[in-house]
Amino acid sequence: MKKLTIHISALLLLFGAAACSIDNYPAPDSQLYGTFLDAETSEPVEQDIIRGSTIEFIEHGYASQTKQTMIIKNDGSYRNNLIFANTYTITPVRGNFVPMAAQEVTVKGETKLDFKVQPYIRVKEASIEKVGTKIVAKFKLQQTVLNNVRKIGLYAHPEPSVGEPMRVALAEQEINGAIDPNKVYQLEIDIPSNSNVLKTGNQYFFRAGAIIDAPESKFNYAKAVRIAL
Amino acid sequence: MSYLKKTLTLLLVLVAMSCGDVLDKQPLDKLQGENLFSNPEGVKLYMANLYYQLPIEDFTFFRQGFNWNTGDPNNGGFAPAMSTDEAVHTEFGDFIGDGDFQWWDQGYKLIRDVNILIDIIPTLDVTDDERKALIGESAFIRAYAYFALVKRYGGVPLITSVQKYEGDVEALKVPRSTEKETWDFVLKETDTAIANLGDSWPGGERRATKWVAYALKSRAALHAASLAKYADRAPISGTAVDQKLVGLDKAAAAEFYKAAADASEAIISSGKFNLYKPSPATPEEAANNYRLLFEDPNNAPEEVIFIKGYARPGSGTGHNYGIWFQPNQTANGWPHPGRMNPTLELMDVYESYDKPGESAPLATSAAANDATDYTGFNASKQYKRFDTENDIFKGKDARMWATMILPGTSWKGQKIVIQAGFIKPDGSSQIMGGDPFTHGGKTYYTYGSADRTQYSGFDTWGGNNTRTGVSFKKFLNEGLNIAPGWNQCVTDFADFRYAEILLNYAEAIAESGTGDKVKGAKALNDIRRRAGHKTEIPLSINNVIRERRVELAFENKRLWDLIRRREYHTLFNNTMRHAILPILDLRVTPAKYIFVRVNVPRSNPSTFDYRQYYRSIPGIGANGLVQNPQY
Repeated sequence: MKKLTIHISALLLLFGAAACSIDNYPAPDSQLYGTFLDAETSEPVEQDIIRGSTIEFIEHGYASQTKQTMIIKNDGSYRNNLIFANTYTITPVRGNFVPMAAQEVTVKGETKLDFKVQPYIRVKEASIEKVGTKIVAKFKLQQTVLNNVRKIGLYAHPEPSVGEPMRVALAEQEINGAIDPNKVYQLEIDIPSNSNVLKTGNQYFFRAGAIIDAPESKFNYAKAVRIAL
Repeated sequence: MSYLKKTLTLLLVLVAMSCGDVLDKQPLDKLQGENLFSNPEGVKLYMANLYYQLPIEDFTFFRQGFNWNTGDPNNGGFAPAMSTDEAVHTEFGDFIGDGDFQWWDQGYKLIRDVNILIDIIPTLDVTDDERKALIGESAFIRAYAYFALVKRYGGVPLITSVQKYEGDVEALKVPRSTEKETWDFVLKETDTAIANLGDSWPGGERRATKWVAYALKSRAALHAASLAKYADRAPISGTAVDQKLVGLDKAAAAEFYKAAADASEAIISSGKFNLYKPSPATPEEAANNYRLLFEDPNNAPEEVIFIKGYARPGSGTGHNYGIWFQPNQTANGWPHPGRMNPTLELMDVYESYDKPGESAPLATSAAANDATDYTGFNASKQYKRFDTENDIFKGKDARMWATMILPGTSWKGQKIVIQAGFIKPDGSSQIMGGDPFTHGGKTYYTYGSADRTQYSGFDTWGGNNTRTGVSFKKFLNEGLNIAPGWNQCVTDFADFRYAEILLNYAEAIAESGTGDKVKGAKALNDIRRRAGHKTEIPLSINNVIRERRVELAFENKRLWDLIRRREYHTLFNNTMRHAILPILDLRVTPAKYIFVRVNVPRSNPSTFDYRQYYRSIPGIGANGLVQNPQY
């Protein structure tokens, strides 16, 4: 038994020693970051983290052409701190903006890459307030393309990354037509009839938005608002 | 010296032996290929293996594969219905993962095996009739296999003869065909099967016939037609889309709907099939007939077109519906029964006899928002009070009573108790938990009984009690006590039955706007009459889909209906599934039952993403295929 213990210890030591040899591959040494900006207003374009707009990128120098993806934060910014210095073909896809062409980008060290996009819809003059036992959102819409606006929505969630894909309560309205840029749209979430998910005393985030009727389009939003119930 | 001598002798013997073909012996326990196919019995044996590999979505099918009844068959009691709005698992919230519902390696293994047969058919020493049947049967199997592939992956490599490795791996790589070409291939193979197969087999064997091939064509063509018609409900992009490896043009819908209608009509007008007991006198009779149809599909030879049989209890020859899905009270010693919990969504969709042609959501109060209020028990709400635990279901479609075990109904000689709690006389509620309560000299228990073997609902113990308010019944045999072990249940499964063909026919006509609308409406109403309905309803797509949901519930059709009609992502977008809580109301004397519509207790919302309409293709690093979008 003692012999066995010695043997095992020796073996472990050997493995441990082997692990000390240097990894042949360098770690990712660069960072890529930036923001989706409205080409007209230079304001950040609000996004969804889950099932939102996506950045696809292909690293040059490999035959496989494998697409890697990055997701975007709600405020329209993104950041990848573990990327190899190289040239990449980068395309924002499946977004809430008019599709963009791919671009070749050289990433080296701290590299900033903003995307100037044309959001399908701008949500303007938005206000979200608690009025009595309701959460009331009022906003105007401006569409930048001729497609129909499919629907508008107001979403609630305990986390700030609230949105259509991430909500516990919602109020939606089908539009399926062009919108009037002067009209004030109003959506309401009734708190008592959502009492199982919107609990008095807790705080929730609310965000209002609209989605265009285009293939793989995503919601455009105004900023999320925090309200204590 | 002697040692050397011995060694030399041994060497000599070995050398001498190697001159004979001692080492070239054939194994005695295995058949060689040429022997197998030289004998008609051998071909039959080979065919049996091909049928075994068919991707039939029966009791042994769930999200991780087929024939889940060998080795360790413990799949936790999951069923495909739990990935849809038909049911939830008692305990787990799994929905659909990216690795689920794969069938790639096994698919190409079956295709290779059937190609071996197809290649050898011309050389076999059999009569012309037998040869024709073999051609038909192998085409049917290949059609079945490619249908299972194309509905998962879109266009796939079409391998139509046995590939031989001759030193060059690259030569074996076949690129994906377009999705259209793949569907066309499936339908072409069914046509070959139809043209070559007979009406039946002399010994009544459960093998493909002309009618089974027609049924497969009906199902496959309808699937393709819906994909073409509704593709723009869930647009996707990427290389596979650009190369048309996934996706069908809208224009293709018409030809596929026509193919589905024609194949269905061939079966209908053949006069060989009929609904089992088509005109019951009462809903009770209808419920019993419907139950008998699934308890043993051999009860209904006029309705079933193709059966997958389970011969005897045991690995590979039995399945596990009989143990997993009994209500807790009739577990018969099995530690984890009760796992299939039909949802309130499904309960709601059954029609009420007095309101034909519309879903009849269970009404718990007179409130205007009753059907959408899932906030839980509210003491100030005026709930409807019922004398028994199942009065709320009365007047609804007979098939509901035959598909689910409703609270307070009888099963295997026991009253099945499903109760979520009670309301005390002071109006406070005790739901899903808490101590017994004594009132008026009587003790009341949260779950309806003191002993945990005497109720079947809501208690979390063991994950054995339904959390939706009803238990599962369809396919279960009330007269049999299944031994508490693996693969002990031998209920046969009807893969194709006449009712599905009628529904395919009605849908193809309603969706395409062409064909005989009167016959389409008759197909729909014939099924409803068999369920005890007396009033005919018009042919409309909503009527057909509602009928499909209730008639084919738990037959593993809903999953593909949601996929082919591109309804999954709208139905499951952060969506909770729902339950109904039967609660004893002690505020009145005698105590009555109220019901509360709630989110399924302890569950999370589910979401179906666009990309999941196509499964990811495994092994693209080696097979060099174009991957499906967003994987």
